[in-house]
Parts: sequence; C-alpha cells; structure tokens
Amino acid sequence: MAGKVIKYERDNIDTDVIIPGQYLKLHDYSEIAKHAMEGIDPDFHGKVEPGDYIVAGKNFGCGSSREHAPIALSHCGIKGVLAVSFARIFYRNSVDGAFLLPIEIDEQTYARISDGDKLEVDTQKNEIRNLTKNETYGMKPFSEIVAKIISAGGLFKYVPE
Amino acid sequence: MDGRTLIYIDRHLVHEVTSPQAFDGLRMNKRRVRRTDLTFATMDHNVPTSNRSLPIVDQTSATQIQTLERNCKEFGIPLFDLHSPYQGIVHVIGPELGITLPGTTIVCGDSHTSTHGAFGAFALGIGTSDVEHVLATQCLVLDKPKTFEIRVDGKRKNPHAVTAKDIILSIIKKIGTGGGTGTVIEYRGQAISDLSMDERMTICNMSIEAGARAGLVAPDEKTFEYLRGRMYTPKNYDDLVDSWRRDLKTDVGASFDRSFSLNAEDVAPQVSWGTNPAMTTDVTGAVPRPDEYARGSKSEESAAAKALEYMDLTPGTPMTDIRVDRVFIGSCTNARLQDLVEAASIVKGRKVSGNVRAMVVPGSQQVKKSAEELGLDRIFKDADFEWRESGCSMCLGMNPDILSRGERCASTSNRNFEGRQGSGGRTHLVSPVMAAAAAIAGHFVDVREWV
Repeated sequence: MAGKVIKYERDNIDTDVIIPGQYLKLHDYSEIAKHAMEGIDPDFHGKVEPGDYIVAGKNFGCGSSREHAPIALSHCGIKGVLAVSFARIFYRNSVDGAFLLPIEIDEQTYARISDGDKLEVDTQKNEIRNLTKNETYGMKPFSEIVAKIISAGGLFKYVPE
Repeated sequence: MDGRTLIYIDRHLVHEVTSPQAFDGLRMNKRRVRRTDLTFATMDHNVPTSNRSLPIVDQTSATQIQTLERNCKEFGIPLFDLHSPYQGIVHVIGPELGITLPGTTIVCGDSHTSTHGAFGAFALGIGTSDVEHVLATQCLVLDKPKTFEIRVDGKRKNPHAVTAKDIILSIIKKIGTGGGTGTVIEYRGQAISDLSMDERMTICNMSIEAGARAGLVAPDEKTFEYLRGRMYTPKNYDDLVDSWRRDLKTDVGASFDRSFSLNAEDVAPQVSWGTNPAMTTDVTGAVPRPDEYARGSKSEESAAAKALEYMDLTPGTPMTDIRVDRVFIGSCTNARLQDLVEAASIVKGRKVSGNVRAMVVPGSQQVKKSAEELGLDRIFKDADFEWRESGCSMCLGMNPDILSRGERCASTSNRNFEGRQGSGGRTHLVSPVMAAAAAIAGHFVDVREWV
C-alpha cells in the first residue's frame, strides 16, 4: 500500500517540535497525535493520512527521550520516517514500541524524493519505490535484532522468543 | 544475543512524564517491578515552582503527578514527592542522595541521564518502552557503543567567568549536534580534572546535545569525596572506593574510535544565537551570516537562515547588543549549588534591569536549603530575582514557567530548540554567570569584564 510523502527539508528535527512539551501531560494517544509536528508545521494534522511517510534530513528526532514523539506520529497515521540519520533514542523508541519504521536513506535518495510523492517501502527487499517518479531507491537494511523486533511487533513481543 | 548485549541496570530513576504508560503496561501484563530497591522516583518536569502549599492549578499536571504517586505506592517504589525535602530534578537528586555511583549502569526516561556520567557511571536516557522493560526485568538490550575521546587540556584563563557550560557549548559548536552520534564520550584532560563534580555534571549533561548515547568522566578523589556519607551511599564505602580507585581509570594507551581535543585557554563565555546548541558563538562575536556559519553546507545554511528568522536576529549584530526579556537560572544543566553561588557572586549588590523578569529555580530542595543557609536567596531577592521551588521549570515549557511568544530569554538550560521554553519563545543558552550578568545589564555582557 502506497503512502504519500510529507517532506521537511531540514536536519535536526527535534522532539520538541515533533511534540511540544506542553502536550507531554496528555495520556491519550489520539489526543497527543492531534499536536504532532505542531512546532514546525501547524497544518500537519490536516494533511496527514494513514500510511504516509515523513522524509527529512540528518539527526531526525534529536533531543528529548519522549516516546510521545513516535507515538504522536504513528497515531496520526505515519507509517515510517525516511531520514538521512536518526537520533538514537527516537530510533529505539520507534522500534521498541513498534510505532513506526525508522528508515535510513542516503543523501541522493533524500534529494530525489519530493513532497507529495507516493512511496512504497519494502523492508524485505530493502527497497523504496517512488510510484510518482517511477524510481527505486535502496534503504539501509535494519540490523538483525532491529528486524526481529520489528517483525515481532515490538520489544515486549520479541522478548519471550 | 545477535551481537547485542543484555546489561543489568544498577539504578533506575523514574519521573512523572515518561512513566505512566510503562506502569500501565506492567498492570496490563500482570507484571511487578523487579527491583524496587534499585528504583527511585521523583516528580520534576511539570511541577509548579511556586508556593507548594497551594493546589496545582493545571489539572493535567495534577493528574500526572497523582498518577506517579499512585504507581509508586502500588508497585512499592520509593518516591520523593512534592513535599519531600529531597524532591528535585531527577538528575540533581541522584548524585545528591548517593544513588549515583561510579561504575554503575543507570537509566532514566529522560535524555539528560547522561549527567550521571560525571561520576564514572554508564548512564543512558531511554524511552517509555524501555522504562517498562527495565521496571519488569531490570535489564536493557544494548548494542556496544563506539567510544569518543574528548580531551580538554590547558587551564581556563578566568574560571569565574569561563565555566563548564562554556566548555561544553564550545565542544558542541565544533563537533555539531550529531558529532557524538552512536558513541559514548569520555571527557578527559587537565581542564576536566580541574572541574568540580557540579561542573563535570554540566559537561556530561549536554553529551546528548552532541548526539552521544552517554558521556562520562573517570572517577577520582573528588568523585569519591562528593559521595561520602550521602543518604544512599553504601555502608562498605571505603572498600568500594578502593576498588574504584584501582579499576575505574582510563587505561594507559586506551584507544578510542574517535578523538577530539580542545584547549581550555581558548574558551570564551558562550552565547547561543540559533535554534540548536551548535549554533553558538563567543560573547565577543556577532550573529553570523548563514553562509558564514554553514561553511559550504546548503542544509546548514538554510537551517541557520530559518533559525535567524525564528530568533529575530540580524547577521552582524554584536552578541552584547542583544537585549533579553527573561532570565532563567535553573535546569539539570545548571541548578546545583555551585551554579547558584557563582551567579549570586555576580548579582550581589546589583539590581535586575527594569524590563527583565529573572528567576532562579534551584535544582532540588536540598540545593535550595543549602543556598538559603549561605544567604543566596537574600542576594537574589534583593536584586529582584524570583527565588522559586525546585523543578525543571522553564527548561522545557511543560509547567507554568514558560516564555510568551516573541520573548527572549537568557537561559542556563540545555536546549534552544524552537518552542522549547514555550511556543514562539526565543532561547539563548548561557552559563549561570552570563545569565546573571544579562539580567543585571538587560543585554548580554562579557562577564569576564565583571569578575
């Protein structure tokens, strides 16, 4: 199933803009999701649809350890974030909570993908298919354990194996 | 385990914001907390820093605080609550109570857990899923991190004006916000050994701002003396110190995956001008042009242009011409006793500039008490600073202490991200002495001229 791209041409998108501090008091995931990306894109909630992807530059998710960041994105439908690199805690939270796919791409791929493009991501083949431009890109394969946790559906489902 | 390691966690610190879903998960799966004796909780992120005898006005904050109280009671975890004499910012009270020890593994659902590395602990910030995992199993799955040596040699020219905060901001300015990604930083060298424990905590605290997993300093006699006789310091302390002294030092000829070095003599007081901590310059400098800052990187150039727009700053403006509306002395970076003593030395006998609102928020109730015993509260209050109760306060905009849209703040905290201190607020990261001087002058000043 294809999802459209919401692209931010910037590095260092921090967790304070993904979900500003004032909303960390909220407990309900769907309420948290209403404020996703509010720090840099107040229109985000209106344009995001289930299955969409965020595309961004380096060090995505830097800053706070708040798991509310991947929670907010995933609960408004974001299936994956394609970034040139990720901050460690955001990456880990995304995988452990099975919220979204953190996909590392190279600079060329980041440059090729445009806002609004339709993508299909195939994590088995490590392929990103751009249906709008009819192009295919590679992605950095998940490490073995990350792939296992993702396919199990999160850390707690993986542990009993 | 697939090349990854399962590590045992010696100390788990819990606060009100990143724990509720973790406790929900335990309840749902009928699990208990594996080691209640190694788990400690406090409330810090969204607590009001005003009069504690009044009820909390913000109902969502009150609920989150009550939820932590209920969870700690249900699961048997010791809690330093709002009325405890030991309440405070989780990274201030850990060391203060002797919970933090050299050679231990420490986790907390907060990125600034790296602070505890100042004691030679391996201290990691984790998210809520991992908080739940540690509560349930006392273990954490981990990749072996890469190692990053940061040497700071030489002596600071004026240690009253050039602080640990200026050293760490200078490092981040040079290596960038992703400079430490995937690594654990070891800070070493003469200028690090010269630092007090309070100062080493400031350095390690901001390791995360360089993207590092953790930061640490090899423990030494200062470390051992700091921890002696505190509430949770183990009974067999001298034996422990003997083993730490023997085992917890940097190996001679140790090799690191990366190295970076800085000479402390070259460090000047720092002021951030942008929207991440690497966007920082010497107080004697000026707001840079985006291309000048970016040195050829298109993405850095556009980030700097956006930052200048957000910060409402014009390239070429001398840093000392930038006026501030608010001053915040506090946070897990800079709200320990030494920070307040140094700030008070600048403030003493002076007054806060007429159009500035300035506040001091001690990192813990113990810091507050010690500061009051030294008369620091009087110095600050006489100068028209607000003297408040302990908590994270204006570092992160999730309690009543926030900036209004467009307000400009000299802040001793750790992040100058857009909206961090309140939607539309503008943050300049500085040391406590620089913040104190800005409060008095109404604009940034080179505090070396004052001390």
